[in-house]
Amino acid sequence: MMRPSLIGAVVPRVEDDRLLDGQGSYIADLKRPDMLEAVVVRSQVAHGILGEIEVDEARRVEGVVDVFTAKDLVDVSPFPDFHAAEFVKPVKIFPLAKDRVRFVGTPIAVVVAGNRYQGEDGADAVFADIDALSAVTSVEEALAPEAELLYPDWPDNRLTGFAPSSAEVDAAFEKHRVISGRYGFQRHGGVPMETRGVAAEFTDGRLTVWSSTQFAHIARDMLSYTLGLPLSAIRVIVPDIGGGFGMKAQFYPEETLIPWLAMKLGRPVRWIEDRRENLVSAVHARDAYADIEAAVHADGRIEALRGTVYQDAGSGEAVPAGFSPAFVTAAALGGPYKIPFAAVGVTSVVTNKTPSGAYRGFGTPEAAFVMERLIDKVAAELGVDRLDVRRRNLLEQADLPYTNSVGSYIDSGSHTLAFERMVELATAKVAERRQQFADDSNIRVGTAPTNYVEGGTPSYFPTTGQWASNDSASLRMNPDGTIVISVAVQAMGQGLASMLSTLAAESLGVAVEDCLVVMGDTDTTPYGLGSWGSRGTNVSSGALEKAVAVIRDKGSLIAGHLLEASPEDLEVVPGGFQVVGSPDSFVSWKDVATTANIHVMNLPDGVEPGLEAIGFYDPPGIDHVPDAEGKMNACAAYTNASQAAVVKVDVKTGHVQLLDYLIVHDCGTVINPLIVEGQISGGIAQGIGGALFEEFHYDEFGNPQSTSFLDYHLPSATEVPAIHIELIETPSPTLPWGAKGVGEAGIVGPAPAIAAAVEDALAEFGIAQITSTPISPPVVLGLLQDAAKRS
Amino acid sequence: MRAIQDPTAETPLQATVNGASVEATVESRMLLADFLREDLGLTGTHLGCEHGVCGACTVLVDGAPVRSCIMFASQIDGRDVVTVEGLSEGEGLTDLQQAFKDNHGLQCGFCTPGFLMTISGVEPSDYPDDDSIREMLSGNICRCTGYGGIVDAVKQVWGRAQ
Repeated sequence: MMRPSLIGAVVPRVEDDRLLDGQGSYIADLKRPDMLEAVVVRSQVAHGILGEIEVDEARRVEGVVDVFTAKDLVDVSPFPDFHAAEFVKPVKIFPLAKDRVRFVGTPIAVVVAGNRYQGEDGADAVFADIDALSAVTSVEEALAPEAELLYPDWPDNRLTGFAPSSAEVDAAFEKHRVISGRYGFQRHGGVPMETRGVAAEFTDGRLTVWSSTQFAHIARDMLSYTLGLPLSAIRVIVPDIGGGFGMKAQFYPEETLIPWLAMKLGRPVRWIEDRRENLVSAVHARDAYADIEAAVHADGRIEALRGTVYQDAGSGEAVPAGFSPAFVTAAALGGPYKIPFAAVGVTSVVTNKTPSGAYRGFGTPEAAFVMERLIDKVAAELGVDRLDVRRRNLLEQADLPYTNSVGSYIDSGSHTLAFERMVELATAKVAERRQQFADDSNIRVGTAPTNYVEGGTPSYFPTTGQWASNDSASLRMNPDGTIVISVAVQAMGQGLASMLSTLAAESLGVAVEDCLVVMGDTDTTPYGLGSWGSRGTNVSSGALEKAVAVIRDKGSLIAGHLLEASPEDLEVVPGGFQVVGSPDSFVSWKDVATTANIHVMNLPDGVEPGLEAIGFYDPPGIDHVPDAEGKMNACAAYTNASQAAVVKVDVKTGHVQLLDYLIVHDCGTVINPLIVEGQISGGIAQGIGGALFEEFHYDEFGNPQSTSFLDYHLPSATEVPAIHIELIETPSPTLPWGAKGVGEAGIVGPAPAIAAAVEDALAEFGIAQITSTPISPPVVLGLLQDAAKRS
Repeated sequence: MRAIQDPTAETPLQATVNGASVEATVESRMLLADFLREDLGLTGTHLGCEHGVCGACTVLVDGAPVRSCIMFASQIDGRDVVTVEGLSEGEGLTDLQQAFKDNHGLQCGFCTPGFLMTISGVEPSDYPDDDSIREMLSGNICRCTGYGGIVDAVKQVWGRAQ
């Protein structure tokens, strides 16, 4: 009997009911008896020597319990510097600044009070003597010979970098025409709707920490390093997370500070970040540009790439370190194209801005922008159709599997298929939209298909210098046949509990609603690295598949015994087992589980009691360090997509509005189309924000100018158009279930797609190429005015 | 209205919250969101920005959507407040909540109560088409979904063609 498969079916999410009913439990909802509130006092100076901090007046404020500075944290160790390799400069991070501040937002003191109102009163009464130094606010300033040094013991402001050289690349540039550009992506970031938050209590020699983090076990590791407690004395619990997007895949000073306070004061302490704090002290991202050149054949084929990615890593005070996305940018430039040779280096510098760190896409959106812009320039300069340039470089089925010039192993995909479908979709849609706006003389409509590849399920070693790629899952069947799945990956909206329940149900024939997924608790989940890098589904399902296999095999032994049949003759059917093709022989999982757990006297000889298994999984094919030639395959899977924005540009105001967003996407096997499309849509919305308006502005003194949602604009329902998604499924040949990961994919494409669409819309004006984001009205107007001056 | 001299002065209030009568004394500076969350334990109302932009804290006051992060608790004196906890009255999901579930109109769920309250407080006939529905939703920010599922949920519950 064939069971209807749940794979590819729309399974309603198991997470939704409680979230819709106001029953979600986020960090700010946590209450502990006698709990105190902490308010962090932050530097208002971008760069300076930290002198005396006056806290006496704050201590006298009504409701304030105590105030602490770095001087008090004598028993706290700085964050371990796993990267202490020759190529990365040492950065010592301490929960409260000791002697120097490097960005506005640096934690310098903490006020503990009865409630947050009183804590903020206290924070207002803390005065810090900071001897201001000149602020470094850009890559150019950081690299200037007379630049102020953020770290006086470094020779310059370079955090890390490398400059590869290749005789083959140089030969290609000797031989072929060279087309070059500088393409940049502004500073913006994850900005989840829920800010960060940490709570802690210390009872009976054990520390319990609640944190809105994407990696509970890594947070526990870091707490152990910084507070000197054994891992067994620390429990990290992650409540519901109100969005993470990488911003919460960082370990922050407050995650050590608040637990230290709870230990010091012997009372529970909570800190909930406010939005201003979030915008200045949680990691930023992007803020990078590339000087890139291509050696090209006359028909548009690209023979080699050469250049450097320059990244402003902010103050550098981040764990994991903030330089890593720039390395990803350099490595991901090739995308879906077969470019035989590349030598692209990185220069990552520190500046007096908020530390850079993770944000969904992690360097790949920058890479896609640089590459797609460069290809459009190649097309323009050679006079070859931009679609044909892509066709001549795109990976075709016959090319796969393909190892590209930096070592990325693209084992499967639908690069050409997706692109040709997108050309078809975009051509039809733009014609319809042009018709619609034909009568408006101020409006121009355009579109332009672009491509990307997103590497997912990566090694964490290049980013952290410590953790790698493994994860685990345990599965326990209760005596009544219900299931508890316990994992270290972390939900933050992506429906992981639904996905894992679906896979367990698919494998065992149990009902989705009979599966409980436990996560975000280091006491009750096996070790793992959490959710980031589009890895959640892949690593947890890989581990789950192993645990499921053990349960299924053991269950079939017990079922066979109960049915007096050979286990080999059984099949899994809804709710249990039966002899193949014989519904009368059914035995339920409940009977099997009761036998395994309670009526153990009925177990077959040699079968131990219990129905529980743990699976450990390390995704295959990943390199953790580069080989002798500097090449590595950092990811277990590479999704591909082609996409196009249909834009409407007002030539009088420069305003760009998206009319439609089209995407043909291939992330391998689709487990739940509802969730996959939700991930893609959400990523696209964030990508649109980054392409058009999201930006952390700073003035020349390093003062942040985007400290509220009045200054930092997030896309609303009127900026994000209807998104048309078509899914192609080219299963991963190596990963369990064939899924390739989808968390980050959508965000990669919007910037290059919108830039190219705006140029298409304005083709008649002969504007110069759009080379950076955000593509704001002044930028568009400037391009139009410059073009008018030239003509 | 009399000027408040002391932000910590105790102020009495009497109101209806989710159908129940509430009497309390609050500091005059206490925000409505904090009163609902901390004093009444109604933590379904979420704080996303605390400056009135993101809409996560939206509740209904006398039937109209308001931002509870920029309203003082004392301002609900004599008024009727409904929070997300007051929608379903413990009888399973409402049609609107079910529509959000059916259309994947939520992911992390943090902004969701604010959307539900905004939609609950508007007149469907004021928003006759997709563009105007998007305008209506534009005061609430969702960072996860890209809005398509939310628009579809509104259309489902308002009986519009999907």
